[in-house]
Amino acid sequence: MTENVAGQPGSGAGAEVNDGGLTAVPPPAGSGDGPVTRLREPTERVSPRARWLWTIEAVLEAGVAVGISLLVSGPWQWFGFHLWWFVPICVVLLGFVIGMPRWRYRVHRWEVTDTAVYTQRGWFDIERRIAPLSRVQTVDVHRGPISQVFGLSTVTVTTASSAGALKIEGLDAALAARIVDDVTSRTERETSDAT
Amino acid sequence: MSDLGTPDDLADRPPDPAAGPEAGPEAGPEVGPEVGPEVEAEVAPSGEWRRLDRRMLLVHPVTELIRFLPALAALFIFGRSSGPEDGSRWWHYGALVVVVALGLLRYLTTTYRITPEQVQVRKGFVNRHILSARLDRVRTVDLTSSPIHRILGLAKVVIGTGTASVGREERLQLDSLRAPAARALRAELLHRGHAGPAAPPAATVASADPGAPTLRSADASSGTEGADRVFVRLDPGWVRYAPLTMSGVITAAAALGFLANGINQVGNNLWGSIADRAQSVSVPWPLLAGTGLLAALVLVSVLAILGYLLTNWGLTVSHNPVGHSYHLRRGLLTTRETSIDDDRIRGVELGEPLGLRLAHGARLAVIVTGLNKKDRSSSTLVPPAPAGIVDRVGMDVLDEPGPITIPLVQHGPAARRRRWTRALVPAGILTVVIAVVVLRFHWPAWLFAVAVLALVTVVPLARDRYAGLGHALTNSYLVVRSGSLSRRRDVLERDGIIGWNFSSSFFQRRAGLVSLVATTAGGRGAYAAYDLSEETAATLADTALPGLLDQFRAGQTAGKQVAAPP
Repeated sequence: MTENVAGQPGSGAGAEVNDGGLTAVPPPAGSGDGPVTRLREPTERVSPRARWLWTIEAVLEAGVAVGISLLVSGPWQWFGFHLWWFVPICVVLLGFVIGMPRWRYRVHRWEVTDTAVYTQRGWFDIERRIAPLSRVQTVDVHRGPISQVFGLSTVTVTTASSAGALKIEGLDAALAARIVDDVTSRTERETSDAT
Repeated sequence: MSDLGTPDDLADRPPDPAAGPEAGPEAGPEVGPEVGPEVEAEVAPSGEWRRLDRRMLLVHPVTELIRFLPALAALFIFGRSSGPEDGSRWWHYGALVVVVALGLLRYLTTTYRITPEQVQVRKGFVNRHILSARLDRVRTVDLTSSPIHRILGLAKVVIGTGTASVGREERLQLDSLRAPAARALRAELLHRGHAGPAAPPAATVASADPGAPTLRSADASSGTEGADRVFVRLDPGWVRYAPLTMSGVITAAAALGFLANGINQVGNNLWGSIADRAQSVSVPWPLLAGTGLLAALVLVSVLAILGYLLTNWGLTVSHNPVGHSYHLRRGLLTTRETSIDDDRIRGVELGEPLGLRLAHGARLAVIVTGLNKKDRSSSTLVPPAPAGIVDRVGMDVLDEPGPITIPLVQHGPAARRRRWTRALVPAGILTVVIAVVVLRFHWPAWLFAVAVLALVTVVPLARDRYAGLGHALTNSYLVVRSGSLSRRRDVLERDGIIGWNFSSSFFQRRAGLVSLVATTAGGRGAYAAYDLSEETAATLADTALPGLLDQFRAGQTAGKQVAAPP
């Protein structure tokens, strides 16, 4: 019951760590060109109109920020907030409103292949997500009020993991519908519970 | 990252009907062949709608009474002193009547049955619910008995299925059944799920001993079923690890806060008299502070130990090869029995928070699919215990020693630099802020001590955080480890990985680093290897799950597009 196992971890932090390469990794099975060392970006961009969507969102967010700083300096009188502090704040917010949508448009990409969905999102923080189609559980289209004005949709592909949802924002509505149909028909063949 | 995750509302969405557990009986043509005719014949009589045990009528009023006790007490105390006496009495009786009526209503409206494919629960009076889950989707079965349940020989049954979102209304919960009936139901659910020969319910019932959740009854059950293999039994000596974990201390602090609140309400004079006495004795303040600190430490430790014993008393973990499941029993006052289906285990989380690690302790949880956050506590396999035992159990559960013993690959100098900047920059900013407020705004100078303390603490922290960072692959598992204060070695079955996230902040990209997150259906849903070089991350993901990443290899032309843009 209480016998110790040789080389058990938890006894010391550094004792079990080797500094070499991937020595613990067995060679990959059935891969002709060796393991993948770099991933390319997904192939497809989202709709260029997405930039406008994000600009409006950014303007709204910036408006909230300006409003809060006005409240802080005006009626609330917190820590002597001077009016000239607005200058750097406004410069930063302006940069955000102008720069973020463009930056984001460069980043946001997606791709659906025969076996997987691959997305790339974000701007300051970027995240790529890959999910095999065999693990896809649901595919949803969502259209927010601003998106509708621009004829855009968001496609969300979920897996059984709470952290694994793949989102493609700013897609042309018709294209989004086609993607949903495609992915759904592919995943319908799967009978396992995808967990 | 602000716009990335809305996991909660995603999780709230009902799953795809084809894949979800709510699939109707006609939706399961693949279930038919699995359930043999002989099993079906046996199921038929139990396909009737069954009721909860009548004794639950007593449980609910009593538990609700206890829950309302503070309110009722307040009603009595304040109602009498302030309001007209008759009025408050009416309130009180009214509340009691409501509680009893609710219990009665629940008894009358809740029924359940097991059909060859499904387990169904009907409940609700105003809003009628019929909850059903396919038997092969049953992940866990939990039997809980509060002291009142135990006196009455009852147990509450909670059936865990694959749904990510389970609100209060949608839980497959039966409160309560007779303990033997509950155990029989559990055996039925787990064994049916495997569509194997139905387990001998008689044996299970015979071993049922609701009043004694201790080692003796565990022995009895393993004796009658014969094949059960007992992995872990709680050694009371393990309580020494209880004060060393954050959760133990938090439990203790919560209890302490509750107590202090109670004392405050009972007699404000008590604190005043203590303070008065302390002043009159005129002890030097460092001594007083030291004594106070020591007393608090002792008190917190004692409470943490009590909490540990309350939850883990009589812990027995066994494996039943017939039911293909792990069985856990634990609890001093409220006993809890959890059964986890083998097929739902995707790995283990080996927790070694700083305090435990220094004392050569650890704890172990299993990664189970379909356990939602509320049921997370039932996935704890070994509470804080000696590291050797935890490791051995981990190896047993994983069926190979590798993931526990294998040396981990470190993440390299860039990851090390990042640990240092992430530790030193906040501490540095804090120091600058303190310097400004002390020198310019004449705040007390002892704040500098805080700055020095911060700078001194983050150095070993950064060092240890890097030392903890590591990953490895074995034949069937991905191993990742990170953290210092709450270090965890997560072992995830490679087949259980259902996707990859490569996330990188602006600063990570500048350092050429990326965090690789393996997503899975169980446990935390995501297990991360932080700050890998881009190449290592891609290679690791590709090796762990061959074939998936090949098509996205850099320099390769895009594969066939499913939905090309116009």
